[in-house]
Amino acid sequence: MTTRLLTLVLAAMVGCALLFGCGDGGTTPAPKPPAKPAAKGKVVIGVSLLTLANPFFKEIEKAMREAAAERGYELIVTAGELDPAKQKDQVDDFIVNKVSAIVLCPCDSKSIGTSIQQANKVGIPVFTADIACLAKDANVVCHIATDNLGGGRRAAEAILEATGGTGKVAVIEHPVVESCILRLKGFTEEIEKANAAGTAKIQIVGRWPGMGAKDEAFRKAEDILQAHSDLKAIFAANDPMALGAIAAIEKAGKSGATIVVGFDGMPEGKQAIKDGKIYADPIQFPDQIGRLTIEAIARHLAGEELPKEILIPTRLYRKADAEKDPTLGKGV
Amino acid sequence: MGSAARLNLVSAAWRLSADYWMLGVLALVGGVFSLLTVQEQDRTGRDAAEHLARALAADAPPAARVFIVAKTGQDDARFAEALERILKAGPFEVAGQVQGDPRDTVQALRKIAGDGGRIDIIATTRDCAEWPALARLGDTVPALAKAQVRFPAGYTWPTFLKADNLLNVASQIVVIAVIAIGMTMVIITGGIDLSVGSLVALSAVIVAWLIGRWGGEGASPTTMVLASMGAIAACGLVGLFSGAVITIFRIPPFIATLGMMQVASGLAFLLAQGESIYQIPDSFTWLGRGADLAGIPNAVLLMAALYAAAWVFMSRTVLGRHIYAVGSSAETARLAGIRVRGVLAAVYAASGLAAGLGGVVTASQLKSGAPTYGQMYELYVIAAVVVGGTSLSGGEGKVLGTLIGAFLIAVIWNGMNLTHVESYTQKVVLGLVILAAVLLDTLKTRSWPWRSLKPPAA
Repeated sequence: MTTRLLTLVLAAMVGCALLFGCGDGGTTPAPKPPAKPAAKGKVVIGVSLLTLANPFFKEIEKAMREAAAERGYELIVTAGELDPAKQKDQVDDFIVNKVSAIVLCPCDSKSIGTSIQQANKVGIPVFTADIACLAKDANVVCHIATDNLGGGRRAAEAILEATGGTGKVAVIEHPVVESCILRLKGFTEEIEKANAAGTAKIQIVGRWPGMGAKDEAFRKAEDILQAHSDLKAIFAANDPMALGAIAAIEKAGKSGATIVVGFDGMPEGKQAIKDGKIYADPIQFPDQIGRLTIEAIARHLAGEELPKEILIPTRLYRKADAEKDPTLGKGV
Repeated sequence: MGSAARLNLVSAAWRLSADYWMLGVLALVGGVFSLLTVQEQDRTGRDAAEHLARALAADAPPAARVFIVAKTGQDDARFAEALERILKAGPFEVAGQVQGDPRDTVQALRKIAGDGGRIDIIATTRDCAEWPALARLGDTVPALAKAQVRFPAGYTWPTFLKADNLLNVASQIVVIAVIAIGMTMVIITGGIDLSVGSLVALSAVIVAWLIGRWGGEGASPTTMVLASMGAIAACGLVGLFSGAVITIFRIPPFIATLGMMQVASGLAFLLAQGESIYQIPDSFTWLGRGADLAGIPNAVLLMAALYAAAWVFMSRTVLGRHIYAVGSSAETARLAGIRVRGVLAAVYAASGLAAGLGGVVTASQLKSGAPTYGQMYELYVIAAVVVGGTSLSGGEGKVLGTLIGAFLIAVIWNGMNLTHVESYTQKVVLGLVILAAVLLDTLKTRSWPWRSLKPPAA
């Protein structure tokens, strides 16, 4: 009897916890609309990001919420947390909730195809932000992202600059997401071009998966440094992985001997550039990605035709830029 | 009714309620979420068309010109067709219809306005009425500024109890529930299998890889079936290996399966080279995404069939009884002549097979195989088993209880999504639920006075 009573009490507690916990967990607070003609309903946008642990996506979320609030749209923000199956479930829930549009940062650019097809079947428009879908037969209205291919080329320029054009370079990547695939492509193309033109002699010793995360990249970098003691540089496909590589380099006592180039330009990354730990980053503008995504949705719902992709160019951000940057504090 | 018969009925009811009281908890949680998600729902298809037609007949001016707008998709197509049919039969004139996205609609409306046509009413669904293109019609197509945008009134109903949501809940838990069948058997023998998550990844990668090699996107159904069986068999072999390591070398199941978890994950990454394999025909999603029988997902039907078979196996077959015996006391079972090693090897193989099947279903749902699938699944599977009433110390447990446990987790997960609970809060809640279930499990294994009230087990 006691145990059964306990269970019922616990279930009731869970229920109450949810009553209090839910509500404005993931929705934007609706601002009081000015005197405009009574909209028949509310535009609800379902967003599934890659992860909320990476500050890059938090910036995108912040910009999206601001842009949505301006227009009186409601936003449901979730994250797949690197699990494609979880993201599929989130898209299924958006479809049940009959949202007006879905924004995705796919955890896996190929697996996301089936979920997008489900949304296509019921006529809900799908937009991808930052990471594209590589599956065929999946209709995306518009893809808003950084020009990752160009960014990869910028990164190669930085490596060529920093190493003087010769030496061994290791790559830490995350090949399940399209944005990182493109960065690698731009990077290797540019390096091969320089090698072929005779202006450089860079050897890419290998590519290791860093899972897009700092801890995994740290472990991989340790192994890479063990295997290649004369490594000149590491290119990491995003800032968290670059920071993991730096931790490994510091641990191995090779700071200064091995150069790191990252990608993103998140505050932690920019700080590392200022401190001289990362040589340079092609930086992205996640706030623009967020803002332009909501704008694209608004334009689509207003009946405008949109281009298939909207690409935002990157910029190479070096130590000199970091020193002039007012948003960075005193480094460590 | 004689007193003996009545006593039998009471004791049967008591036993049923004691074994399946989790069903009550499930109903309670479902009830809570139903109350929390009561909302205005949209009508769809023919139902929507009929309601809107009635509303228009009641208050629209006669001989009004109506233009129908709908999105793409089955429901909207039915709505548009039905509405056109009903309106034409009535006093209205149908100026035309469009099924597409906002741009198609605006183009169609502009064409009519350009040709000098008049539209009095735009009949559409609530979703389309929300489009700024229609909500601010005066800005989009000034010539049609006087047109009224009408959509059918909704009905009040909990989103949680909508048919497509309940089907979603069922299909979202399929993989965990299927794997939990094998895990139930393992836990009843007093063991544990931590490798199931990695086996999901391994299985998904193997089936995708095999299909890729044997025809890729043009692979035949036979190829797909063979590839699936290959993947499942491979995982069964891994499970058998775990069982062998546990029985022959006496390594604790926790350690043995922890090791196999790493091995399986590594193998998956090796085979897939870190990427996801996606050269798979569209028809492969039949298992994971198809819904042939009355809209019930095929995977859910598979889950139901497997649970029915497992229930028969555990309660009616000799090997099933032996599993309980080994779990209660391996030494006693051995003395009774049961081949304990064989039973243990069998349950770990079964767990591997179940995980393999889970991986094939995942690959089918996502039409690709990647070594990153199945992360942390072992925790949810174990949670489903424990929440369902199976004791971690072995010897007792019900396969149908596991099904209820899996559904409870799915319902809590889905309910939290519907009520927009933040994802981090969700993790906390789910963790608390699992803790509560394990707490109850430990309380149950001690002697409580109420246990003496239970009639002796049959």
